[in-house]
Amino acid sequence: MNISRRNFIFGSIASSVFISLWDIDPSKAEIKIGDNPEDKKLLMKMCRDVYPHDRFPEGPYEKTAADVISKGNKGSENKAMLSEGIESLKKVKYGKMNFKKSTKYLKKIESSKFFQHVRSTTVVTLYNDPEVWGLLGYEGASFDKGGYINRGFNDLDWLPEPRIEEHPDLAAFLKADPNRLAAIEEMIKTN
Amino acid sequence: MKKIDQKEKAVVIIGSGAGGGTMAYELTKAGIPCVCLEAGPFHKKEDYVNDEWGAFLQMAWLDTRTTSGNWRVAKDFSGLPTWLCKAVGGTTTHWAGATPRFMDYEFKTKSTYGKVKGASLLDWPVSLKDMEPYYTRAEDAIGSTHRGGRPALPANNNYKVFAEGAKRVGYKYYATGPYGTNAAPYDGRPGSIQDGFNFQGDKNGSKWSTAKREIPRALQTNLLDLRTDSHVTRITHDKNGMVDGVIYRDVDGNEQRQEAKVVILSGNSIESPRLLLMSDSSMFPDGLANSSGEVGRNYMRHLTGSMYARFEKPVNFYRGETMAGFCADEVKHNPKRGFVGGYYMETLALGPAFLGSFLEPGGWGREFTNMMDGYENIAGMWIVGEDMPQSKNRITLNTDVKDQYGNPVPNVHFDEHPNDIAMRTYAYEKAEDLYNSVGAVQTWRTPPYPSTHNLGTNRMSAKPKDGVVNKWGRTHDIKNLYIADGSVMTTGAAANPTLTITALSIRFSENVISEIKKGNI
Ligand SMILES: Cc1cc2nc3c(=O)[nH]c(=O)nc-3n(C[C@H](O)[C@H](O)[C@H](O)COP(=O)(O)OP(=O)(O)OC[C@H]3O[C@@H](n4cnc5c(N)ncnc54)[C@H](O)[C@@H]3O)c2cc1C
Repeated sequence: MNISRRNFIFGSIASSVFISLWDIDPSKAEIKIGDNPEDKKLLMKMCRDVYPHDRFPEGPYEKTAADVISKGNKGSENKAMLSEGIESLKKVKYGKMNFKKSTKYLKKIESSKFFQHVRSTTVVTLYNDPEVWGLLGYEGASFDKGGYINRGFNDLDWLPEPRIEEHPDLAAFLKADPNRLAAIEEMIKTN
Repeated sequence: MKKIDQKEKAVVIIGSGAGGGTMAYELTKAGIPCVCLEAGPFHKKEDYVNDEWGAFLQMAWLDTRTTSGNWRVAKDFSGLPTWLCKAVGGTTTHWAGATPRFMDYEFKTKSTYGKVKGASLLDWPVSLKDMEPYYTRAEDAIGSTHRGGRPALPANNNYKVFAEGAKRVGYKYYATGPYGTNAAPYDGRPGSIQDGFNFQGDKNGSKWSTAKREIPRALQTNLLDLRTDSHVTRITHDKNGMVDGVIYRDVDGNEQRQEAKVVILSGNSIESPRLLLMSDSSMFPDGLANSSGEVGRNYMRHLTGSMYARFEKPVNFYRGETMAGFCADEVKHNPKRGFVGGYYMETLALGPAFLGSFLEPGGWGREFTNMMDGYENIAGMWIVGEDMPQSKNRITLNTDVKDQYGNPVPNVHFDEHPNDIAMRTYAYEKAEDLYNSVGAVQTWRTPPYPSTHNLGTNRMSAKPKDGVVNKWGRTHDIKNLYIADGSVMTTGAAANPTLTITALSIRFSENVISEIKKGNI
């Protein structure tokens, strides 16, 4: 399966979902654009500004930025997009902007291909990272551990235990003529 | 396994999902040998994975499709209009398990709702009374909880929030089912271990699917020739206009032909009309069974929308059954709310991977991550309501784009009807009230996902001019061509469709069996 088909599956907005997941081996791709510490740092900041989680360490954003770089190096069109994007970040001194300023700037470039590339790659790669799952408190795969039946599937204790059976009037409610039902409701309301 | 010669005029079923898998079981049980051609492979429960994207890529139908219309899916997921599966068991491999029945008047919405501008409403040629015995059989096959004496599933965390919220806003009709996953062992399948991966196939085997029940049992009769990785590309006919065979690609992509005396089409609401349209000929220039011009039209996908709510305290909604929570209070037709028809609320949980991609396609920034950051404290529900059939919402062949075999891909066109929008807006407000009543600190109106419910593109009708099949699933035009899948649904009702698809397939099978036994086909 080639990239163009993958790109096709999701629309422009979410195009990277499949690219992310079907990447054969990003390490084998010939990486040039953005593959230096300075550019990577800039992109890491952008990933974080787009999906800010203050409590996340650098690790997940670093992996995400690496993915943004590797996918941005696939094909000459992507390379041009990535290199222009990085250049424009440098030109506005994006690296020095605080969160508020960066957000304002990102809002301005929101419709650009470069922004969409970074955003759509990040939303998939970041939230599909087991390290992030741990940070968010998601325990993930459970079958091998016997499911959650003995591991808290019903441990919520800040609300009362609910009824699980159907209400005895349900069958009659579903059977009732809807027009009659509406008339009765109206009667109750107006009385 | 039974081998049927390709030259033998066989009973051929296309697809092995809710409709096709059920048909294969019913026919072989009655002693009729069948060939079932399924485009996907046969994954067993040990092959399923507890991973959202992993399972999606394992089984989802990813052949090229295109979209058009004003629905948001066309913008956000332009190449992926649906979430359907290509595997033995079809989309019942990934389904959740909600199994409500239709209400009586939902079989006659045209008479009940009256004229709705722009909608192509039609009464079904069957009634609830006709369907009741088949509903019971389908519930027993699926093992629906709360039915047939089967126990209810316990309350999981997501349900606790949902049910208490429902109670506080004055709703009464909430429960943990009916749901097609066993609470206790039933029919050879174990009780749920609440592993939270129903949408990924359910490795424990507690959830019903035709890959777990109907297909294995049909194989046991030794009358089923199941050919996996076999993608049908054309149904052929003889000079009398009767279907006489199907052409398909085998696992190696080679073209094969199976002679047929009866063809039962069960490829779902996108592929079934597509195949009929692709099987055009000089005798049938508009495609097979299409004298009405209705093939591909009246595509419905249910209203849908989700509400996610973040709380101050932990919920951990991903633990446990994905959709074992129901509320029926808004399901009755009541035009005073500003729309016709009604909707169910059902609990729904996603992992971070899917929530990130689907919470707000295209969304970013602090508000979005506040929601994601509170992942442990999120509860969620799905809104599923009746959408209006519209003639122009349809599956057509897109001859500009070709699939892996060089055939035109299906284009899925969908424009939302004002009634759909009014109902969704109302439902979002009510869902917010529900979660706010139990202390939500943030709520999110999530738009519809790629369609999981796909209905109506070969609809049943009493009169041949109004639809494609009759009340037995038999095409009005061709007496040895039947359709048994979601595409035959005349209108969508509020209920999740699979119980009805399964019940219809059982009902249709009786006609197929008696017609074959009488020698009429
Ligand atoms: C995540 C998810 C959750 C769901 N939850 C629920 C729920 O809780 N309750 C509910 O009622 N419904 C639910 N559904 C919907 C349910 O899965 C479908 O309504 C049902 O499976 C449709 O049945 P069908 O027979 O029309 O098609 P399918 O089950 O999709 O079967 C069609 C089969 O035909 C095969 N096929 C198609 N074209 C060809 C061809 N040309 N040649 C050979 N084979 C072909 C396909 O590979 C597939 O196996 C859910 C769906 C999803 C995706």
